[in-house]
Amino acid sequence: MASVEAEGLVKGGCPVDHGAQDHGAVLAGATLKDPAILAHPNAYYAAMRAEAPVHYDEKLGMYLVSRYEDLQKVFADPITFSVEQGFKHIYGGAYFEEFKAIMERDGGGFFPDAIMSDPPYHTRVRKLMESAFTAHRVKELEPRIAKVITDFIEGIADKGRADAVEDFAVPITIHVICEQLGLDHFDAAKVSRWSQAVTAQISAMQDHAAMVENAAHICDLQNYLIARMKEREDNPREDMISDVVHARSPDGDGAALTFAEAVSLVRAILIAGNDTTATALTNLIFILATQPAIAQQLKENVDDERYLNRFVEELLRVEPPVRGLSRMTTRDVELGGTLIPAHSMMLNLYASGNDDPNVFPCPRDFDVNRPNVGRQVAFGGGVHRCIGLALARMEIKITARELVKRLDNLTLDIAIEDITYLPSVATRTMQRLPITFTRRTV
Amino acid sequence: MAALTVTFIETDGTERAIDNVDAGPSLMEVARNSGIAGIMGDCGGACSCATCHVYIDESWLERVGAPDDIEYMMLDMVADVQRDNSRLSCQIRMREELDGLRLTVAPLPGY
Ligand code: HEM
Ligand code: FES
Repeated sequence: MASVEAEGLVKGGCPVDHGAQDHGAVLAGATLKDPAILAHPNAYYAAMRAEAPVHYDEKLGMYLVSRYEDLQKVFADPITFSVEQGFKHIYGGAYFEEFKAIMERDGGGFFPDAIMSDPPYHTRVRKLMESAFTAHRVKELEPRIAKVITDFIEGIADKGRADAVEDFAVPITIHVICEQLGLDHFDAAKVSRWSQAVTAQISAMQDHAAMVENAAHICDLQNYLIARMKEREDNPREDMISDVVHARSPDGDGAALTFAEAVSLVRAILIAGNDTTATALTNLIFILATQPAIAQQLKENVDDERYLNRFVEELLRVEPPVRGLSRMTTRDVELGGTLIPAHSMMLNLYASGNDDPNVFPCPRDFDVNRPNVGRQVAFGGGVHRCIGLALARMEIKITARELVKRLDNLTLDIAIEDITYLPSVATRTMQRLPITFTRRTV
Repeated sequence: MAALTVTFIETDGTERAIDNVDAGPSLMEVARNSGIAGIMGDCGGACSCATCHVYIDESWLERVGAPDDIEYMMLDMVADVQRDNSRLSCQIRMREELDGLRLTVAPLPGY
């Protein structure tokens, strides 16, 4: 592994210095709803960790959990900090009953998200999904995933320029997940629209017209998935839809998922991994294009499996795609010195946990040698820890490896100040990332 | 089925002997079912989270065996607490040969 004892390291300081901040001034009147803070949130996170680790953001109406240590407390108690209540609070917005009626009329049924639940129900559902996602199973899939990704890179290598989001990260992710699910002949543009329609249900930002339009897309999605599931009921194949349709509890009691649960899970698998993994791939390209020393180090270590795994983990630590996800308290509870009343909405700021210098010294430095890099929380933690994490890591690893093998001179074709982000508290996602490059010749 | 015994030593030194363990389940599942402190098993045994990390008692190392490559890579992510006798307990199935096994729970930050 390459040494990262880079020259020019200030003794006792961090090579990447973000300057001393007046935390009080950063916090005063600020909100995570502010697009400028959403785009560049780290000073806000640092101010919260220092001054108000569990901070009530009035404009957002949520308690923000910013310290690594407090996030671990949330992970350890999924009953007090409820995913299910938080999800119900946000889902469908003001037009919930109408949305549900549309689903029942045109979409094959209304299928509540079985995975957005609390133990003990969640434990049962999750167990039935898990076997499809183990690290060993994903390892077997590596050659097929690698082929999808290398075909994509080959397809753009001679073009010289591309939008890393539209031409690269989004289609790669959709191809991989459709391949895993066993959806051949899918229409990538449609999957992308479905994905946006499902995500819009929890953004609480849609007006009535948008709800009706999104509902139509979701009906289309459900009808498509239900047909593929029916095909596999009698004729199972080697794919994830078959795994979910035929999942049986390993406890020998033969327990299975209901059809409604199975539809919601296939839908979740298709959607949950798309934006997140695509964002991770975009972030990969951003880092390679803006930090040449890291790109060079990756190039030199591209055949070292241990280096690659650490590289991926550190990428997810430094630039976590999911910045925060919600919970609702089911009782009065004290966290990080703040008393949170029952039925309050909270946002777990995973991005702030990954930026906490008490756990990750010099958190803005990209350092693959961090001894505790596996403690990063880009995938959350506790019983809701991302189920697709092994697949996501594999996709990012293969993309990093094949990209530096095939492309050179990766450069941004946009000024950093001009990069815009989706207006979302849940993810930090670049809207476009124009790049230029050459095909690597040596 | 044979009733086997496993002893977990929690991070504060508490010894917890678990009797009547069946052959078959992983040691992570055994620990979770018995509420052993410090074994979270977040990923459900997918070898993807390292929240089921244990140190195998030296005298048992040979019988338990070494981690495979995938498990080793995951242990490397928590190199701060990794030792030569580190294993992920979700990757070890209980079997008769392991009757009497002793292991120590590795520290988790923050829990
Ligand atoms: C880099 C890519 C990814 C990131 C950063 C990510 C992040 C996360 C996070 C933070 C959670 C925790 C949710 C919470 O705390 O409430 C989660 C859960 C989940 N993720 Fe991912 N994810 C990624 C990829 C994927 C993929 C590829 C899939 C599926 C193929 C997937 C499926 C899920 C599901 C089903 C859950 C819910 C698990 C539960 O509540 O038990 N994710 N993900
Ligand atoms: S339970 Fe996740 S690695 Fe063992």
